[in-house]
Amino acid sequence: MKLTAASLSDIGPVRGGNEDYFSIDNSNNLYIVADGMGGHLAGEVASKVAVQIIQKNVNHWINKNSPEDELFDFPDNTLSRRGNYILSSIKLANRVIYEMSREYAEYKGMGTTIVVLKIMPATVIAANVGDSKIYLIRGNTIEPLSKEHNMVAEQLEMGLISEEEAKISPLRHMLTRNLGSLDTVDVDVFEIEPMNNDRFLLCTDGLTDTVSDDEILRIINNGDDAEHLCQQLVHEANKRGSNDNITVSLIFLKKLDNERQGIIKKFWHLFKK
Amino acid sequence: MARVILVFNKKVIQEYPFAKENMTIGRSEGNDIVIDNLAVSGLHARIDKIENTYILTDLQSTNGTFVNDKGITSHKLQHKDKVIVGKHLLFFALSKEEQAKTKEAVLDRTMILDTTKQKDLLSKQAGKKGIDLPDKKEKIGVISFLDGSSQDEIQLRKKLTKIGKAETSEIKLGGLLMPPTAATISRRPNGYAITTTGGRVKVKVNNQEIQESHYLKDFDTIEIGSYKFQFYTQESEDKE
Repeated sequence: MKLTAASLSDIGPVRGGNEDYFSIDNSNNLYIVADGMGGHLAGEVASKVAVQIIQKNVNHWINKNSPEDELFDFPDNTLSRRGNYILSSIKLANRVIYEMSREYAEYKGMGTTIVVLKIMPATVIAANVGDSKIYLIRGNTIEPLSKEHNMVAEQLEMGLISEEEAKISPLRHMLTRNLGSLDTVDVDVFEIEPMNNDRFLLCTDGLTDTVSDDEILRIINNGDDAEHLCQQLVHEANKRGSNDNITVSLIFLKKLDNERQGIIKKFWHLFKK
Repeated sequence: MARVILVFNKKVIQEYPFAKENMTIGRSEGNDIVIDNLAVSGLHARIDKIENTYILTDLQSTNGTFVNDKGITSHKLQHKDKVIVGKHLLFFALSKEEQAKTKEAVLDRTMILDTTKQKDLLSKQAGKKGIDLPDKKEKIGVISFLDGSSQDEIQLRKKLTKIGKAETSEIKLGGLLMPPTAATISRRPNGYAITTTGGRVKVKVNNQEIQESHYLKDFDTIEIGSYKFQFYTQESEDKE
């Protein structure tokens, strides 16, 4: 598999600190972004702890090929085994942050969103809690691989408000789920089959608050250098006066393995010589 | 503690400290703030306190609720907001501690709602619009074999369903030319989509060959090699 990945995190035009955190693990093709919240330094701690716990546990379980009953909390039978590794690691991160927030006065009320992406030759797993997002850019289309866990998204889904009302709603940053506020959490996990030239974007709401999906698609499809495109996205969000920290991770899948090709295709290559 | 100050004709009538989790406003006696005026509905509006935020919601009142001269359905109250109900003015004021907290919180605006409060807010809005909130039952995709094959209907319970010759496929198909995985169906945020693996076996939806991925609609017919199925969604029997 040929992949390139790049990430950029920016404090944004108005904030005093950066509570976002990200990790790029190219040896395990595991990509994570988190948007922390809570007074003083608590947000920074929450996002970092979440990312580290998920990374450590997912890789550990993969190395051991652990069965589902050895994971934290109950597995989800709609997911593959690897999907359950990711699900379980997020639930574990939630529990740890929750306990920390109750144990230490300076961490009271801390929490974080999380988006996780794992890329394998036949499956891509995308998981999220909160309002940070994962997008799949395939050809000329952009589609979400995450569900927005905030009041406005729920209102939209139920037909209670229009898209225009949603954009200016005072409730639009009100999360309905995060890591750390409750002792258990519901995680949204999606599994899809990757294709050559797929591009994935992980981002915090600092980007999507000011830049629309179509504009993101246009920017991402207008170049080939992941690092450069990260800078363009962050630059655009800054220019438009984003009210938050801005973090983006771009993963470009250039070529998948040929593992999935059938026998006929393998013979065809011999004949073509 | 925050306060709501009721004013009429520039005279303060009463101050109401925000002592509970919510306050209702209306003409009927049972409200926390009773305004005896024909322009005010029996149950006119409500203020909910959620963490450090106060949300004002209009409850399908006849004449509407206005904040700083703008009609609102739901509004996050700021210190010194002027709420108009009928001909009365409700002046909203935060305490000094709350004002300080708000300055910090104004930037870190993200916060968490607990589930009962969420459902409460949503059902109030649905009520106002006359919308029946659905029971939020999950819809599950089903594949039905169309050519009298020995296989029954198969529910697409997995997030990623693999279709092909491999033993590990959720939908097993046979045949000499059938690859280990001919196609996959994924359950995504926007619905079910079928993806071809691009092998020798063609994948068609409604007689059109698909190139990469294609979102499935109810009653679409799918052909994979010589197999033919129909896709549709039904309410899941799952308890969760």
